[in-house]
Amino acid sequence: MSRIIAFTTRNIKEMLRDPLSYIFCLGFPIVMLLVMTLVNSSIPPEANMTVFRIDNLCGGIAMFGLTFVMLFTALSVSKDRTCAFLVRMYATPMTSSDFSLGYLLPMLIISVVQMFITFTASFVISLMTGVSLSIPGILLSIVTLIPAAVFFTGIGLLFGTLFSDKAAPGLCSVVISLGSFLGCVFFDADSTGGIMLTVCKCLPFYYCTKAARSAAALDLSAENLLIPLLIVCVSAAVITALAIVVFNSRMKADLA
Amino acid sequence: MKAIETRKLTKKYKDKTAVNGIDLEVEEGELFALLGVNGAGKTTTVRMLTCLSEPTDGEGYVKGHSIKNEKSAVKRIVGISPQDTAVAGNLTVRENLEFMAKVYGFTGNRVKGRADEISEVFGLGEVENSRAKTLSGGWKRKLSIAMAIIGEPELLFLDEPTLGLDVLARRELWKSISGLKGKMTIVLTTHYMEEAEELADHIAIMINGNIEAYGTLHEIEEAAGKQGLENAFVEIAERSMGK
Repeated sequence: MSRIIAFTTRNIKEMLRDPLSYIFCLGFPIVMLLVMTLVNSSIPPEANMTVFRIDNLCGGIAMFGLTFVMLFTALSVSKDRTCAFLVRMYATPMTSSDFSLGYLLPMLIISVVQMFITFTASFVISLMTGVSLSIPGILLSIVTLIPAAVFFTGIGLLFGTLFSDKAAPGLCSVVISLGSFLGCVFFDADSTGGIMLTVCKCLPFYYCTKAARSAAALDLSAENLLIPLLIVCVSAAVITALAIVVFNSRMKADLA
Repeated sequence: MKAIETRKLTKKYKDKTAVNGIDLEVEEGELFALLGVNGAGKTTTVRMLTCLSEPTDGEGYVKGHSIKNEKSAVKRIVGISPQDTAVAGNLTVRENLEFMAKVYGFTGNRVKGRADEISEVFGLGEVENSRAKTLSGGWKRKLSIAMAIIGEPELLFLDEPTLGLDVLARRELWKSISGLKGKMTIVLTTHYMEEAEELADHIAIMINGNIEAYGTLHEIEEAAGKQGLENAFVEIAERSMGK
């Protein structure tokens, strides 16, 4: 356990000392909240469009922020592989599970901190704009997004293991775009319906946003919260297990 | 017990034989230099002896532990400073040392104490609060070796430790390596003749995956019939390549 803690601490420090992590993981979600709030204020009330209202926006932006943690997980793992740092570590008594957990845990901690900051900013905006956003709803939404954080961190570990530090960010950008679009962060697929909604429902991103929004609204129904949350939990478990298996087999191949 | 013993140790990559059934013996406490040009098989040998690569054939023992079947036991007693300076760039020198101490199982005050000791041995005090990525090549190598010995290994593997360093940094590092002699068994790979001459108790010359000569500097010179390691090396290399 002490080795996992040591590796986790090292990874947190590496990330916190990279200025880009502040820009993408903390700054970007807040900027998006502000920009979309401005967009919302420009939409006339008669349009009856609420997707950019802060109570709807916060869950989606929090989910969107997690996609950048995925990017940093992938970069962290792929850089360690490129610079031979992992080769040194392979010669120590650290095991493959020490490595996997050592990469996943710090990113989950960063994800939770990021969510707190995003929701705190959302709460302040809600007070300024007179939109109701409850603290219990915020806390429940953060808890609801933890499986999503596991899901995205798992994708980061998978991409970082499989691809170089040049290729991994590009592939993560594809997931970030898919996550924001098919996750319905910036539009309401339920209102749109049709083929768009069907496509969105085929991927876990939609359910991440839906569960987070429902939790923020304290809508505890099975349809809006529990079933989407279950889908996210299963997706997170599958992706994380796959990432750990791939990491272990890549480690074995490196040591062959 | 020998520090290292190999029997027909072999590593093949598809059609290429990187290490060709070598028999090696390294005495405890000595500094052993594995000398050869690029691609001779030195790094592959070190990788096998540190359990970073699986032998295709043959066997190796590190302090009596099989490198094939007792990997955990081997990893507990070896330290390696790889050819690439593998340090955590955004961590300070001090944090790198403490991180490795924890990885090797030190806890509480022993972490700080061990980092203090190693920092003093390598004179890292003046840069201990600098981030590793900002260090010069020489300092990075020192840190890399310091990280390799912080776990109190019985065997230290230094893979081309002075590669790419200027002459002053190289001499400085030689002093640090000399200071470790006698405290642990050291295996050093290099293609700098003067480095092996200066530091090694025994030298093995490796060419195309084979050990072509083994002994003290004097024994190798005698076997080659040439004075100076560089001349002896060239003679042995040419003989082995049939020139």
